[in-house]
This record gives sequence, C-alpha cells and structure tokens, in this order.
Amino acid sequence: MKSKILVWDLPTRWFHWLLALSFAGAWLTSESERYSALHVMLGYTLLGLIAFRLVWGFAGTRYARFADFAYSPAKIGQYLKSLASRSPGHYLGHNPAGAVAVFLLLALGLATGISGWLTYNDIGGEAYEEVHEFLANFMLLVVGVHIAGVIVSSFLHRENLARAMVTGYKEGETDAAIRQKRGLVALLLVAAVAGFWGLWFNGNLDSLVSGQAEAHAGYDGGHDDDD
Amino acid sequence: MRISVSLFLLAVASTAAFAEAPADFLNAYAQEAKQQNPGYKGPSPQQGQRFFTSLHGHEWSCSSCHTSNPVTAGRHEVTNKVIEPLAPSANAARFTRQAKVDKWFKRNCNDVLGRACSAEEKADVMAYLLSVK
Repeated sequence: MKSKILVWDLPTRWFHWLLALSFAGAWLTSESERYSALHVMLGYTLLGLIAFRLVWGFAGTRYARFADFAYSPAKIGQYLKSLASRSPGHYLGHNPAGAVAVFLLLALGLATGISGWLTYNDIGGEAYEEVHEFLANFMLLVVGVHIAGVIVSSFLHRENLARAMVTGYKEGETDAAIRQKRGLVALLLVAAVAGFWGLWFNGNLDSLVSGQAEAHAGYDGGHDDDD
Repeated sequence: MRISVSLFLLAVASTAAFAEAPADFLNAYAQEAKQQNPGYKGPSPQQGQRFFTSLHGHEWSCSSCHTSNPVTAGRHEVTNKVIEPLAPSANAARFTRQAKVDKWFKRNCNDVLGRACSAEEKADVMAYLLSVK
C-alpha cells in the first residue's frame, strides 16, 4: 500500500541544506577581500560537513548509506536511457544519476576545500590557487546539473524531490520507510556548525584566519585551533 | 585524483611557460594607455603613489593592506594575514606572471575603486612600485 513514508533522516537533510548554504556562501564571498574571513569560515564548514557525511554514509539510515546508492556505470546508463522512455526508472532513495551527483559533489567539495586551505596557508606554492578555482567552477557546474536533474526527475515522476529533502517524506510502500529520524544526531550536527560559527564570529578562531597563531595578540597558545 | 594531479602539473607548467618581468607589465599598460589616448604622456611614479595611497570612494586604499611603503610586508585588513611586500625590489616573485597579475588587479581594483582599473592607472602604479627601493 502506498502512503507518505519517511525516506531521508534528519541529519541527511540538514547536511544537504547546510552544504548547499556553505557552498553558495563560499561562492558569493569569493570575489572580494572584504569577505575573505567569511569565505574561509564557510570552507571549513564545508569540509566539516563532508567529513560528517562520509561517516553518515556508513552509519546513517537506509537511504543515506553509500551502499544504497553505489550504482554500476551500466545501471547509471540504463537509468539515463529510461528517462527518455515511456516508463522512466523510479527509485525511492537516490536515483543513479542523483547518486553520481552525490559522490561527485562530496569528492569535489573535499578537493576544493583542501586546495583552498593549502592556498590560504601558502602551502605547496601558487599552483593550488588555480586548482582551487577550477575545482570550485567544476563543482558549480555539477550543482547546476544536479538541480536540473532534480527538476526533470520531479516532473517525470510527479514527485517534488526538493520538498522531500526538506520534509523527509516521499510516496512509497509502507515497509520501505526508515523507522528513525535520528534527531539527536541532527541536533549534534547543527550544534557543531552553529558552535563553530559562534566561536568564529567571537574571534576565538582568529588564528585560523590570520594563518599565524603566535603572532596574534591575545592568543593564549592553547589548542583551540584544532577545529 | 588523477585529474587534480594533471591539473597541478598543468598549472606548474603554465607558471614556467608564461613567466614575465615586472617591467613587461609597465610597458604593456603604458602601451595600452597610449592606444586609448593619443595624448597620453607616459606613466608617472608620483601619480602612481598618489593613486596607491588614496581612497577612491570606498573604505580601502591599496595602501590599506599593502602599506604606504610597499617594500615592507603588509597586513590584510580583514583577516590580519601577512601580505608579502608588493614592490619587486623587495620581493622578486611579484609581477612575474600574467594570470596572477590580471587576477589580483581585477579583485583589488574592484575592492578599492568598485570598478576595473584603467591601463593608465595600472601603468602609474607599476611605475611607482618599480621606483621604490
């Protein structure tokens, strides 16, 4: 029997929208020195979020697990072909094309964040600056394709995928539902991000921004820069 | 991973292939200014210094971060990060690569003036930076 069932747990949803926010923010703060501290903060946030998602890909609920959407290239091709047919393939969790976007965005986010960190801390020469910019552009392109895919898939299957990523619910068989929202983990994730931003704006993490802990006046020499 | 390695190599290779000297930029900007304005009298270090240390309708001047003595290290106005000296006499790595120079003139002119710098302005700034020892 079909009904509204829970598909996306809360940590997965919060992760998704916080990542989208961090990436959009990092993009918008990239062109002016005025926002460079904010840009760096959002880069750290993005890296932290992805680190969480890598763990959640093994520890999360059914549809959040990597094993649930690790499709073979053949399956991905098959799905894309089916989109042009009369009976487009339907998946309750990530469809094969969406799965490609997830893995690509995780990898690109990680590589963009790390190359940005290397650039900002003057490690490995100037080459990483261009690598960082290239990866960020590539990531924006994948985000664009991802959004286009969500729109196309939402129309084809007459289900609002973006709303499902907000509410967690989709139409499906009752026994395919996940049982837990995992609210406590989501709370910890959001609290970690909020706490990090709080410390950042409060100036506790200035050593991460200036790139030199010792030279900063008032720095207590502690280990509060361990993120 | 393979993509990022080859990108890295590409970036390294392009660094070597397009190396420029600071004076090349001065000449190129002066030439461009001459093309735009036949009455152009050539770059002026004094005008460059004035441009470098003045506000242009926004909160920062070039010297806000690079100091009014560009042979010394500066500090980023927002992040407090150390900025290596801008004058080629104090920092041989400055103005040696077209892509980098283009990128930072674009970013910094936008922050300081809210627009792109003209060829004449860039020629003056180059003349000033090359004149300080």
